[in-house]
Amino acid sequence: MKNIKYIVAAVMLLTVASCKKYLDETPQGVIAASNLNTPSNVEGMVIAAYSALGNDHYTYPFSNMWAYGSLRSGDAYKGGGGPGDVSEFNQYETFSLNRVDNGSTDGTWYNLYVGVARANAALALVDNMPTSTYPNKVERQAELRFLRGHFYFLLKILFKRIPWIDESIPKTSYDTISNRSYSSDGLWSKIAADFKFASEHLPVTQSDVGRATKGAAQSYLAKTLLYQAYTQDDNNNVTGIDQSKLALVNTYCDSVINSGQYSLDPDFAQNFLPQYENSKESVFAIQYSVGDGTPQGRVDYGHVLDYPMDVEYGCCGFHSPSDNMVNAFKTDNFGLPLFNTYNNVDVVPTGDYKSITVDPRLDHTIAIPGHPYKYQTNLVYQAAWARAPQSYGSLLSLKEVVAYTDPSFKRLPPFMSSSKNWEIIRYADVLLWKAEALIEMGQEQQALPLINMIRQRAINSTTLLKQADGSATSNYHVDIYRPGINCTWTNDYARQALRFERRLEFAMEGYRFFDLVRWGIAGDYLNAYFSVEKNRTPHLTDAFFKKNRDEYLPIPLNQINFSKGLYKQNSGW
Amino acid sequence: MRKLLLLCCFLALLAGSVWAQSGTVSGTVTDKSGAPLEAVTVSVVESQKSTLTDLKGNFRIQAAVGQTLRLSYVGAKTLTVKVTSLTHQQFQLDISGNNLNEIVVTGYTAEKKKDLTGAVSVVNVNDIKDIPEGNPMKALQGRVPGVNITESGTPNGAVTVRLRGITTLNNNDPLYIIDGIPTQRGLQEINQNDIESIQVLKDASSASIYGSRAAAGVIIITTKRGRKGTKRIDFDASTSLQYYNSKLTPLNAEQHGEAYWRAAVNDHQDPNNNGIYTYNWNNDYNNPVLTNVIIPTYIDGAHTMKAADTHWFNEISQPSVIQSYNLSVSNGSENGNSLFSLGYYDNRGIIKDTRDQKITARFNSDYNFFNGRLRVGETMNTTFMKDPILPVGDITMLSIIENPIIPIHTVTGGWGGPVAGMDDRDNPVRLIENNKQNINNFGRIVGNAYIDFAILPNLHVKSTYAADFAGNYYRAIQLPYVAGFLSNPANKATQSTDYAMTLTWQNQLTYDLHLGKSAFNFLLGEENIQDKYQNFNGTAQGLALNDINYAYLTAGTSNIIVNGAGSGDALLSYFGKANYTYNDKYLASVTVRRDGSSKFGADNRYAVFPAASVGWRVSQEEFLKGNPIVSDLKLRYGWGQTGNQNIANNATYTLYSSIYGTDPTWDADHGSAYDISGKNSGTLPSGFTSIQTGNPKLKWETTTQSNFGVDFGLFNNKLSGSLDYFIKNTTNILISPPYLAVLGEGGNEWLNGASMKNTGFEAIVSYNTELSRDFRLSLTGNIAAYRNKVTYLPTNVLTGYPGNGTTQTVLGRSINSEFGWVADGLFTTQAQVDNSAAQPGKGLGRIRYADLNNDGVIDDQDRKFLGSSDPNFIYGLNTSVSWRNFDLTFFFQGVQGGLVYNNYKYLTDFTSLAPGSNWGNRVLDAWTPQNPNSKIPALTLVDRNNEGRYSSYFLESGSYLKLRNVQLAYDLKPVLKKVKFQRAQIFVQASNLLRFKSSSFTGPDPENPNNIYPIPVVTTIGINLSY
Repeated sequence: MKNIKYIVAAVMLLTVASCKKYLDETPQGVIAASNLNTPSNVEGMVIAAYSALGNDHYTYPFSNMWAYGSLRSGDAYKGGGGPGDVSEFNQYETFSLNRVDNGSTDGTWYNLYVGVARANAALALVDNMPTSTYPNKVERQAELRFLRGHFYFLLKILFKRIPWIDESIPKTSYDTISNRSYSSDGLWSKIAADFKFASEHLPVTQSDVGRATKGAAQSYLAKTLLYQAYTQDDNNNVTGIDQSKLALVNTYCDSVINSGQYSLDPDFAQNFLPQYENSKESVFAIQYSVGDGTPQGRVDYGHVLDYPMDVEYGCCGFHSPSDNMVNAFKTDNFGLPLFNTYNNVDVVPTGDYKSITVDPRLDHTIAIPGHPYKYQTNLVYQAAWARAPQSYGSLLSLKEVVAYTDPSFKRLPPFMSSSKNWEIIRYADVLLWKAEALIEMGQEQQALPLINMIRQRAINSTTLLKQADGSATSNYHVDIYRPGINCTWTNDYARQALRFERRLEFAMEGYRFFDLVRWGIAGDYLNAYFSVEKNRTPHLTDAFFKKNRDEYLPIPLNQINFSKGLYKQNSGW
Repeated sequence: MRKLLLLCCFLALLAGSVWAQSGTVSGTVTDKSGAPLEAVTVSVVESQKSTLTDLKGNFRIQAAVGQTLRLSYVGAKTLTVKVTSLTHQQFQLDISGNNLNEIVVTGYTAEKKKDLTGAVSVVNVNDIKDIPEGNPMKALQGRVPGVNITESGTPNGAVTVRLRGITTLNNNDPLYIIDGIPTQRGLQEINQNDIESIQVLKDASSASIYGSRAAAGVIIITTKRGRKGTKRIDFDASTSLQYYNSKLTPLNAEQHGEAYWRAAVNDHQDPNNNGIYTYNWNNDYNNPVLTNVIIPTYIDGAHTMKAADTHWFNEISQPSVIQSYNLSVSNGSENGNSLFSLGYYDNRGIIKDTRDQKITARFNSDYNFFNGRLRVGETMNTTFMKDPILPVGDITMLSIIENPIIPIHTVTGGWGGPVAGMDDRDNPVRLIENNKQNINNFGRIVGNAYIDFAILPNLHVKSTYAADFAGNYYRAIQLPYVAGFLSNPANKATQSTDYAMTLTWQNQLTYDLHLGKSAFNFLLGEENIQDKYQNFNGTAQGLALNDINYAYLTAGTSNIIVNGAGSGDALLSYFGKANYTYNDKYLASVTVRRDGSSKFGADNRYAVFPAASVGWRVSQEEFLKGNPIVSDLKLRYGWGQTGNQNIANNATYTLYSSIYGTDPTWDADHGSAYDISGKNSGTLPSGFTSIQTGNPKLKWETTTQSNFGVDFGLFNNKLSGSLDYFIKNTTNILISPPYLAVLGEGGNEWLNGASMKNTGFEAIVSYNTELSRDFRLSLTGNIAAYRNKVTYLPTNVLTGYPGNGTTQTVLGRSINSEFGWVADGLFTTQAQVDNSAAQPGKGLGRIRYADLNNDGVIDDQDRKFLGSSDPNFIYGLNTSVSWRNFDLTFFFQGVQGGLVYNNYKYLTDFTSLAPGSNWGNRVLDAWTPQNPNSKIPALTLVDRNNEGRYSSYFLESGSYLKLRNVQLAYDLKPVLKKVKFQRAQIFVQASNLLRFKSSSFTGPDPENPNNIYPIPVVTTIGINLSY
C-alpha cells in the first residue's frame, strides 16, 4: 500500500483551498455607508447635497424651471425643431395633450427626490456627529434643511400633494408614506419649518459664497409663506388669502432688506452676465463651473438647449419668447405698461421697436433679429438663427445664455452651455414678495416704493443696449409709477402693477406659471392667451387649459404604480 | 521479440493442428475512414469464443479456416466473415449514423454517448467548420434543439444564446467550459477552427456539477490536440463576400417632402411654412392635391450645402470581404503529442470601416512519463483582435433617420449636416471618417497546465491551473468638426486600458472500478475561481495637432481627466460524481456540488446543488437483442438543481461612490462635486453618491429541473434520434426592480423574488442512408418548444415585471408577456370618432384604442396582456447529399410564432414620432380620406394621440424560416492522387441566402427587429487541405 501516501496527498490537494477568507471580496473603489461617519466625509455629503441643485438635465430642467414655469405661462414657446422635438414639453405647453405618463414628469419627480434624498442622507449623518468633532454641526443641519426645503418647494409647486420624507424615517418604511399623508397646507408648513430652522441657525454671511445664508433662508421662508397664504381647496381653486401668513412674509422680507447684505445691481444686465456673479443682488444661486475636472464641467445643464443655430453656437433653439411676452414690454406715453391693451397689436411681425416705446428689459430678456446678441454689437442676432420659425418664430431667450467668447462658455456637442450661475432667489424677488404681501394686506401705498425701486433700476439699465453705431437698440421709455401724475394708485391698480412688474422683471426666469396658480388666475389667463396666440402660431392649435386639473402636473403614473396605489392622483387627472 | 511471437504462433499452430488449419486469427477493425475502433466484439460463431479489440482496433482470436467471425459494435451493422486464411486482416465496420460510442465530455469527465443519462447534445463540428462567422455559436444557430441563438450583423458581434427558454431575468448566457475551464466570455474570442467538439448540457442532471453558474445551461468546448500516431498538417482558407438582401427603405428627398406636405395639410397647417421645401398644391385642405415638390438649390442660408438625395444607408454600408486562413500542425507519439495552430480572420464589415481583424495562435502538448502513469500537458491560446471604435449604433441609426436632402459634403468639402428645422443629428459618414483612426486592441492569453498522476491504474489525481487574461487598449482622438449647425472646435485624446483576469485552480480525483458486470466511476473535486477586473482611462484636450499619432495624454494641455475602477469576485467549490453501469444496461449517476460565492451575504454564502439520473438501455435486454427494427433504445430520467449568481459583485452591501462628476450630455450628472466657493473652475470639493442599497440576505437563485429522455436507433441506426421533455422551476429569481423615486439614487436593490416554470420538449431525428455506392443521403431535423409561466410573484418585485403593478400581473403568464393597449384599427369615419370612448387626441385616421374596461375613457386601465414573445416552436432541418466527390448540404432554420416588438415602425409608419428625421416609405401609403383602406395612421406632425405608446400596433409576428446555410463541396483527393492528401476539398457556400417571414411583419428581419445592423448574406469559397 505504498500508494496510500499518494492518496493522502491527493485528498489534501482537494482540501487545500478551504480557507474561509477566500470568499471575502472587499468591494473595490466604493465606500460603505458605515465608513462615512468622519467629519471630512460628512462635509463631502453636505457638498453632494448642494451638488444636486444642478444635477438636472434638459428633459427635466428643475435648476431653472423654464419648462414648467416659463413654458406653461404664456411667456414662452417650447422652441426646438418642432412640436415633436422633446414632445413632453409640447404636452406641457399645450396642457390638453399632457398625460400621466409624460416621461419628463416622472424624471422631474425622481430627480427632485434625489435632491431630497441627498439632503436626508447627509442630515442623518450630521445628526449623529458630536459637536466636539464636528463643530459646524448645527450650521450644516441648517444648510441641509435649506436644501431639502428647496427641493420640496419645487415638488410642491409642481405636484401639490407629495410624500414628505425626512431623515428620521428609515428607508425601509418609505413605501408606507403616501402623498396624502399631509394636507396641501400641512406640506407648506413642513417646508416652512425647514426654512425656519435654516433661518434661525445660518450665519449672515458664509466664507463659501455658494452656501445658504440666513438671508437666503429668510427669503425662501417668505416665499414659502407667500405661496401658503393663498389657500387652495382640493380642486385647486384659490379660496382666500391668509393675512397672518402675509404678515410673516412682510416680516421676513424686512429682515432680509434690513440686513444690509443685499441691494439691486445698478444695471439689470449684471444679473445675467457671468462677470457679476454672486453680486449683492444674488440671495441664493446655483454655482456652476467649468475646467473643474469633471468630464464636461458642471455647467448650467438645464439651459443647454437654449442657444441659437448660427455657426458660433449651433443648437438647439429652445425657449422662444411668445409674441404676447414681447408685447408686454411695450410702454405707453408715460413709460408705463399697457395692462389691458398691450397685446392688441402684435409688434413681433413688424420687427419695429423704434416707432413704439418699450421697457429696456425687453432687450435684456429677448433675442430679436437685428438686435445685438448678448450685448455684443459685433454679433447681431439674425432671423436665420431660429430653429423652426414656422412653428416658433424667430425669437429666443437671452438671460440664460452667454457670449460664445466668454470664458464661462462650454460646448458639449451637440449642446452648449456655460458656468454662469443661475439665481434661485435674487433680491428683486424679495422686494416684490414684500410688495405683494403689502398689497394683499391692503397696504398698497407701502408697496409703491418697492415696485418703483425695480422700475427705477430698469430705467437705469440701457447702457449696454446699443447698436454698433452707439444708437439705442430700441426706443426705450419707462418710468416709475407716479400716483396722481401717470396713474391712480388704488389697491386694484397696485395689484395689476405688481403682477405686471413681476412678469417683466422675471420674464423667462422660470416661475411665472406658479405666480399665476398662486393668484388663482392660471386657467382664465392662459385660455385667454391661447385664444389670441393660436392665431399667431400653429403649434398652439390644441392648447387648452383645463381648470381644476392643469394647475398641477399629474403624479407620475410610474410612481402610482410603484407605490402599488398608495399614492393618489391629483385632482382632475 | 519478433522471434518470440513467431514461436508462439508456431506453438499455437502446432496445438491447433489436431484439426485441419486451426490457429490464431488477428486483425484490425476500423471504420470506413480508417480510424481504428476500440471495443468491437469479435466472436467465432462456431466456438462461441469472443474477444474485444484494443485501442488500435487490433484483436487476436483462436479460429480455424472456414469458421465464421462475427464483428459486432454498438450501433454498427454486424459484420460476419468466413475465415479464409490465418493472416492478419483488415476489417471495416460501417458506423455512419452511429454515434453511440462517441466520447462525450460532460462535467469534468468524459463518457460514451451510450452511457449518458442526462440531456446532452453533441454538435457535429464538421457541419459548421466552414461557416466564416467569426463566432462558432453563430454557426450553431438552429442546429441543436432547445438552443436558441440570435445574432446581429456586426463583424465581431457577440451572439445571444438561450438554452431551453429564459431561465432568469438576469444574464441568461450559458456557462462555457473551454478545455475544462469555465468562462462566460463570448466565443468570438477563440478560433472556430480550433474546436474539436461542442457539447451542450441542457438539463440539470448533467449541468448541476457546474453548480452556481449552470442555471442557464453549460456548453462544453474541447479544442483539438495532437493524436497519438499521427502527423498532420491542415490548411484551410476561405474568402467570402457579404452583402445585404434586406434593408429598410427610407424616403428619398422628394418623397420626404411629399410626406411632410401630407402631414402638414392633415394638420391644416400651411405646408410651405417650413425651412426647405416649397409646394405647388391646390390649397384645399379638404381635398388636397399636390402638383409638385420644389426642392431648393441650397438648403442652408449660407449656400454651402446643395440639396442632395443622399441614401445614407448606402453611403455607410458596403458589400465587403471576409477572409479566413487557418494552419494547424500536429504530431503524436507514445510519449506525447503536440499541436500548433494559427488563424487569421479578417471581416471588413458590412458597415464601412467596422473591420474586425483577429489573429489566434494555439499551442498545446501532452507528455507521458512512467509508461503513461504520469501525464502533464498544457494549452496556450492567444488572441489578438483589432477593431475601430466606431459608434456603430449611432451610425446605423443615423443612416436611417438623417434627412436625404442633406449632402454628405458641403460645396467646399466640409461636412454636410442638419440645418434649421431638422433634428440635431450628425452626419453618419462623418462619424465613420472622423473615428476610423481610433482602434481598439484586444488581447487575450489563456493558459492552463495540468498534471495527471495514476496512483493506481484506475485511480487518477489531476490538478489543473488556468490563467485567463483579457485586456483592451485603445487610444483615440476626437477631431474638431462642423456639420451643419452642429460643431465642436475642440479636440480630445483618450487613452484607455482595462484587463480582466480569471484564475482557476481545479483538483480532482477519479476512480474507476469494475466489479463483474458493474462498472463504477467516481469523481471528487475542488475548484477555486477568482475574477479581477481593473480599468484606467484618461482624456486630455487642447492638442496642438489633430493627428492620432500625436494623441497622447501628455500632449493635452487642458481638461486632463483620469478615471479608474476595479472589481472582483471569487468562487470556492467542492464537487463529486458517481456513475454506475450494470451490464451496459442499467445506468445511474449522482452528482453533488457545494459552491461558495463572494457575491452573497455571509449567511447565504454556500449552497449545495445535487443531481441524480438513471438510464435504461432497453435495447440491451434479451427481448430486444437482434430485433430487426429497434437497434438502440435508451430511456433516461434526470433531476437536478443549478444556480445563478449573475449579479453585481457587491450586491449585499449598501454602497456609496465618490463620483466626482459624470458626462451630462445624454444623462444627468450623477456626480457630487460642487463649486461651493464660487471660484468657477479648478478642483472642487465633492462627496459621495449613493449607488446601491445592500441586501445582506441575498442568496442564490435556484433552478430545479427534471428531464425525461429517450434515445433511439431504428433499422440498424439508419434512423436515430432523441426526445426530451423537461420541467424547469426557477425560484428566488434575482432581480433589481424599479423602485419608488423617493428612495433617490442608489434605491436599487437586488432581491430574491419571483419563481417561474419552463416546460418544454426537444426532438432531433436523423436519417442516414446509402442509396448506392456513390450516393448517400442524410437528413437531420430538430424541433423544440417551451412554455414559460411565472408561478410566484411577491409584491416587492412586482414593478420589475410586465403588468400595471396592481390588478394585472404576470403571475400565471409567461415572463416574456407583452402588456399594453389594443390598437383596434383606425378611425375611418367621423361617426366612429364621435361615438367612441373618450380618447385624448382621437380623430380621423388616428389609431383607435380599445376601451377594454368599457368605462368610456381610454386610459392606463385599458391595457392588457397582448401575448408573449415566446415562439410556439423553433426548428431546423439539415440535409446532406453526397454523390461521388460532391457533397451538398443545406440547412434551414426557423422560428414559428411569438410576437416581436417592431421598433422600426416608429420610423416607417409615423411622421410624428420622430418629426425631424427621415421616415420609411410606408408613410406614403398612410391613411387619408382618399386612401381609406390603409392600416397606417394618417400622417401628422404632432403626436396628439400618443401613438408611440406600447400597443399591439407595434407587435408583429416573429415567425421566419431562413436558409441559413447551403454548401457544395468537391473532394479533390481523387484528382490529386499524386500528392498524398488525407483531405482535399474545395467548397462554395452561402449563409442567410433566403428568408421567409410572416407578411404581418413589416420590418426587414424579425430575427433582429430592433437592431439596425442587418444580418448580411455571406457567400464563401474555400479550400481545406490536410497532409
